[in-house]
Amino acid sequence: MLYREAGQFKTTYSADMAIFPIRQDRVALILLLLFAFIGVPVMATFHIWPLGSDYMLRAILIPFLILALAAIGVNILVGYCGQISLGSGAFMAIGAYSAYKFSTGVHLPLAWLGTALAIPPLPVLPSILLGGLMAAVVGILFGIPSLRIKGLYLAVATLAAQFFFDWVFIRVKWFTNYAPSGSVSAPELNFFGLTVNTSIERYLLCLIFVTLFAFVAKNLVRGNLGRQWMAIRDMDIAAELMGIRPFYAKLTAFAVSSFMVGVAGALWAFVYLGAWEPLAFDINRSFQLLFMVIIGGLGSILGSFLGAAFILILPIMLDQVPHAIGVPISVETVSHLVFIVTGALICYLLIVEPHGFAKLWSIGKEKLRLWPYPY
Amino acid sequence: MKADVKPKPVIAGQGVDAGEVLLAVQNVSLSFGGVRAIRNVSFDIRKGEIRAIIGPNGAGKTSMLNVINGFYHPQEGVITYKGRQRSAMRPHIAASQGIARTFQNVALFKGMSTLDNIMTGRTLKMRRGLLAHALHFGPAKREEIRHRAAVEHIIDFLEIAHIRKAPVGKLPYGLQKRVELGRALAMEPELLLLDEPMAGMNLEEKQDMSRFILTVRDAFNTTIALIEHDMGVVMDLSDRVVVLDYGQKIADGTPAEVQGNQAVIDAYLGVAH
Repeated sequence: MLYREAGQFKTTYSADMAIFPIRQDRVALILLLLFAFIGVPVMATFHIWPLGSDYMLRAILIPFLILALAAIGVNILVGYCGQISLGSGAFMAIGAYSAYKFSTGVHLPLAWLGTALAIPPLPVLPSILLGGLMAAVVGILFGIPSLRIKGLYLAVATLAAQFFFDWVFIRVKWFTNYAPSGSVSAPELNFFGLTVNTSIERYLLCLIFVTLFAFVAKNLVRGNLGRQWMAIRDMDIAAELMGIRPFYAKLTAFAVSSFMVGVAGALWAFVYLGAWEPLAFDINRSFQLLFMVIIGGLGSILGSFLGAAFILILPIMLDQVPHAIGVPISVETVSHLVFIVTGALICYLLIVEPHGFAKLWSIGKEKLRLWPYPY
Repeated sequence: MKADVKPKPVIAGQGVDAGEVLLAVQNVSLSFGGVRAIRNVSFDIRKGEIRAIIGPNGAGKTSMLNVINGFYHPQEGVITYKGRQRSAMRPHIAASQGIARTFQNVALFKGMSTLDNIMTGRTLKMRRGLLAHALHFGPAKREEIRHRAAVEHIIDFLEIAHIRKAPVGKLPYGLQKRVELGRALAMEPELLLLDEPMAGMNLEEKQDMSRFILTVRDAFNTTIALIEHDMGVVMDLSDRVVVLDYGQKIADGTPAEVQGNQAVIDAYLGVAH
């Protein structure tokens, strides 16, 4: 009864092609954004449950937002363009270390040219965006094999990127400014004179990035470029015969995807971790992002958020359950149980709904439109 | 008219007048290893006609279409399109020169809606780049709306307005064929290649499709080459028919001429040895 589009007549193509054509969706999104931008900070300021402690923001919401941004990037490549990638962790690392280098100043001695490339330290925002840009450039390079190979073989090729950059950031000391431990720390988060310090400020910073990039991604996938990506994914031969250049479609997908993943990497390092070493972006991160996208829903921006929430938050929640209900079991047992339960839930979900949470969501909306009638 | 007559050269970018040769295939041979799919075939397609390509299974009909739109590269022979010769080209360049096609087994983009599938056909006509689309504002939005209007005309024409937003993977076969025709029409092609547009359809669906094909030729001024196995359809629709058998051309002419041709009858019915 509540979720019904009957009576909402669209008289222009512009209205029909709006980003959220159904009024209830628009209202729900505005409410959600209002809550995220105003409600959460207010609740955190006045310590209202469940935001009573800093923990919720610092350990759950901030990583959720950043990984959701990375998952959107991965979804553009894997879900929309159909190019499997296992190198997302590497692209996060490239974003993080490039941003670090730009923010601390780049000095690259080019001895054979008799000169040196020197860039003075940049402010944080350009550093983060340039980090994304560097990831995009490397993404294009590692996307070139996709013009020849597909599917699992491409996954192996992108895996090479993962291991290569793991190695680079450990072995090439230049990237870590010759830090003896290999660990580097983020610069002060200063945006146009405003310093981002507290968890609430960090949360808002991530929220702004995620909101902007989610809208950009949504716009891209419903436009001409998004249709080209999906055409390549669904039937590449027919797409080419329609005049779509696989070269352009695939490499733009790699570029946009790596850019978003790179920005997420820079945020992960600067805003969430603060100080990090290459292990923060190892192969497990790539798998985590890929699972988020698969479980959330391939080819869905909403699915990226749902998948990130599931993969990230479920283990944390499960971790709290025995403690909350007062079962006296050891910490190790709990962490093992979390692995078992999460794994079983993932298997169950993929059997029940192989298209992920986004599909469940759209089935739910479909049912809600008819409710309370069966059809 | 003999098939190997050279077409009059036209200035690139200009159209070809009705009745003149739009596409000429000259002495084309294509083989895959030892299999000779097409052997020394020549024929032409004139502007504004419906040209049927028929023949028994494995005669090389689909291979011929694949050669025409650049998916296969023939080992020998020349293809002249709009007065310009070419031998090998990438499919997307053939598309940009105005050659569209449909497939024998439907090749729609299964995860996308009918509307998006047909909109994909407008790709070549859209100019706005990545950044404009990222904001979906101003020129990019106006462009989308302009092309949406054009696509809605095609949707109306093909009578598929009711499935506009439906994912094509779930549509019945006959409708999928129609959406595929719509996607090809959205390219506003000069030459439309239809690979068995009526395969697996019942009588009413065939009648609908025939009606659409004739209207496309008359209203959109599109030249059509079609492969079809239903002889009734071929004889009724086409202006001229070329018959292939084992990769060779065995007959070329009006439907009536082809029907009476002994070689064609032998190819279809077999010969007593």
